[in-house]
Amino acid sequence: MRVQLVTMPWHPIDLPSLQVGLLHRLVRRARPADEVTEFHGSLRWAEFLLERSAGRLRPGDYVSVGSDSIFHGLGDWVFSGALYDDPDWGTARLRDYAAARDVFIDTALDMRPYAADFIAACATEVLATRPDVVGFTTTFMQNVSSLALARELKRRRPELTVVLGGSNCDGPMGHALHRNHRFVDHVVRGEAEYALPALLRHLDEGTPPVDVPGLCWWDGELSRANTETRRTVAPADIPSPDYDDWQAALEASPVLEYVHPKLVVEGARGCWWGEKHHCTFCGLNGSSMAFRAKPGQRLWEEIDRLVRRHRLLDVVTVDNIIDMAYFRDFLPRVVESGWDLRLHYEVKSNLTRDQLRLLGESGTVHIQPGIESLGSRVLDLMDKGVTGARNIRTLRECENHALTCSWNLLYGFPGESAEDYDPVIDQIPALVHLQPPSGAHRIQLERFSPHFTDPGLGFGKRRPAEMYQHVYDLPEDELADLVYLFDSEDAGIAGRAERRLKEAVAQWRAGHPHSRLLFEEDGEDLLVHDRRHGRPHTTHRLTGWAAAALRRLEEGRTESALHRLLADDGHVVSAAELGEWVRHTFRLGLLFRDGPTYVSLPTWDAPVRMPDGAAVAG
Amino acid sequence: MTGLPAAVPHRVRGRRVAVDGPLRLAAGGRETAVAVQFLRECVGRGLDAAWTWAADDAGPPYDLRVLRHLPPPAERAGEPGELTAWRTGYVYGALYHRRGPGFVTVLDRRDAGTAARLTLDHPDLLAAFDRLGEPTPLDALDAVHQEAVGLLAAERLALVTDGWAVALPPRIRSWPVPCTGI
Ligand code: B12
Ligand code: SF4
Repeated sequence: MRVQLVTMPWHPIDLPSLQVGLLHRLVRRARPADEVTEFHGSLRWAEFLLERSAGRLRPGDYVSVGSDSIFHGLGDWVFSGALYDDPDWGTARLRDYAAARDVFIDTALDMRPYAADFIAACATEVLATRPDVVGFTTTFMQNVSSLALARELKRRRPELTVVLGGSNCDGPMGHALHRNHRFVDHVVRGEAEYALPALLRHLDEGTPPVDVPGLCWWDGELSRANTETRRTVAPADIPSPDYDDWQAALEASPVLEYVHPKLVVEGARGCWWGEKHHCTFCGLNGSSMAFRAKPGQRLWEEIDRLVRRHRLLDVVTVDNIIDMAYFRDFLPRVVESGWDLRLHYEVKSNLTRDQLRLLGESGTVHIQPGIESLGSRVLDLMDKGVTGARNIRTLRECENHALTCSWNLLYGFPGESAEDYDPVIDQIPALVHLQPPSGAHRIQLERFSPHFTDPGLGFGKRRPAEMYQHVYDLPEDELADLVYLFDSEDAGIAGRAERRLKEAVAQWRAGHPHSRLLFEEDGEDLLVHDRRHGRPHTTHRLTGWAAAALRRLEEGRTESALHRLLADDGHVVSAAELGEWVRHTFRLGLLFRDGPTYVSLPTWDAPVRMPDGAAVAG
Repeated sequence: MTGLPAAVPHRVRGRRVAVDGPLRLAAGGRETAVAVQFLRECVGRGLDAAWTWAADDAGPPYDLRVLRHLPPPAERAGEPGELTAWRTGYVYGALYHRRGPGFVTVLDRRDAGTAARLTLDHPDLLAAFDRLGEPTPLDALDAVHQEAVGLLAAERLALVTDGWAVALPPRIRSWPVPCTGI
């Protein structure tokens, strides 16, 4: 058989598709006689826009529509006109939507007229390889472009088999995608490693795929959905991706000069935290939460192979959460290599200082520690398993080890109140030297999250997010099964508290670039140079037990625990005296207070800071 | 211990380096190569260098724009316009290199609005590039490496003046924040 694997817009153009690279290997391994080809429709679209618009619509515009506007569905809308054979389909609704929410849509409007021609050109190119099976991978906003191309392929070659898979197909979404689109022959829901080879066998033999777990297929005019399996794929059965075709496509592309290509690797699936305490807002891991990791040695071998082959030193990992064993059997190998890698990893916020140092030394300098909030009660409400104090320590250590920390401040949790936020908001000016969140965002209601599956948690009323009205021509009950994001009544803070929070975060972001709060040792004394925005620049000198106390508070302590520690260290200070010092130091903004716990805020080092948006051409 | 070359007398406090005397970047030859190496190593370590341009030095015998990625000299009344342009155009990390197995990647954004990526993987080129980590007299190199230095200079990855050569792109040992900013 000839199998073609397709990744359509809006897959990020600086990354290979892990899914395509992995399925390519999978099919070759399971079916050596098959011919496997790839079609990088995402890259093609960026090229098409560049060429047809004579250089006006650039890769930067691709990113602004394809990645930055995911929550407005602009990228999907661009292709809805091609899917529904009507260049104006959904435009009026999109305009109303954008006007009501003040969303910038000009770039998307500019792109729409090119979509139908593009889909036609893709169909020609895909069919030129004479495939028997075309497999689309779909995540984020890849649905509509994939459906539009699938429809055109089937129109031109009805005997072709179209298969859809990817995280947009998990659970009920996959069945809804199938039953509403007759030109989609099969939808693989969940992991492909066992299901796809089984499906291809049935296609070869012409037998009905009744025994392929999770699969959606047509039984005459009836859309059938096989029961999904609880069996997860073992790490040993997860192929390591093949990016040769991607590299060839990118190197031949005019898009290359606009992007900074990176490798994508997979170490683990699922989430070890979520297995025990599913964070209430989190809709990751639609198919399975069960945590499974490749051994560190194997992950390193994969990276070693890909780095040598593609001569790229930037690596994005797709793991939801780092395997703690990697601190022993993966990261030390990265350090040992001596290569100047730059890795992106999602971690948990309760890492120790040594673990954060190891991340820095290994070049894992871009981390996403799931900070989400600085208030312990709100963190409890979301079952995050960390405290505000802990999160502050993580942010501080990121300065000490020059780690770039991506995080959002989330709010809108059922049960939270302004009183949970006020103490944090009041302290934000003292945090200005630490990396700010990308913004303060109201949580979204995502399929698969506890908030979604249990309406009792506070989001009882829900309907498909409004943006899908300009994306799909489907009735609401079908959309309710097909989509990932939902609108619901707001929970948690609103009004004044919400405004204050957003304002404080905006100030944090504005004041951060020129703010520092630095320790310096001066013999026995400890100096703190305060160069924070909004405060007079001063240097504080701490001596004797006070210097010891401020250092002890780096780990976060209550006043009484601090008193005991100082006594153990031989310092003589009364509880009253210490209490007075703590209050004074807190007023100076040198401490963060989380309930009874105090954390010291100065850092030992400050990384070179780049202005926002200084990033490489794009 | 910062590991900065001792050939240029300096003091370090925190992330700031103060160079004791003026640096003679216009002199050419060994003196210039040593100064360039020193500033390059400051950048590689994320250190901020404060230094002065030797007052009686005229313009340099090369295009000063190749040094746009190095910290510019302190401002001085009546300085040549090229120095002012250097200061206003300076961005951290505008040129740097990274090491991988059998290759070196270079990112060059010294010309505003451009980002050129280069991969050095030819063994002779790599060997020459490594040699030029230290200031090197051209006549100490064999013909093959001299030719490689010529190629590196043509790509503006090496500075060659008066028979001395030195590599220009620092190896980034500490990433800025955000690390994607360079
Ligand atoms: C890694 C990751 C990223 C990375 C890389 C993304 C990439 N495109 O490669 C980065 C950091 C760039 C990223 C960015 C964003 N992400 Co993200 N990301 C993930 C994450 C954690 C893992 C995805 C992954 O690669 N998994 C590993 C692969 C192998 O698994 P898989 O895709 O499911 O594939 C398997 C099966 O589905 C199946 N399969 C897949 N394709 C096909 C095809 C066929 C034919 C068949 C048969 C089977 C099949 O087989 C595969 C192997 O078993 C997921 C969460 C999750 N756990 O899925 C979120 C997730 C995909 N991201 C999400 C979001 C919202 C974003 C951002 C918008 C975040 C933001 N606010 O900025 C951006 C958007 C970027 C963009 N335009 O694409 C959402 C998507 C929601 C949706 N359905 O639309 C998810 C689900 C997380 C979430 N709940 O928020 N992300
Ligand atoms: S938010 Fe992160 S830690 Fe929490 S369950 Fe989801 S993946 Fe796991």
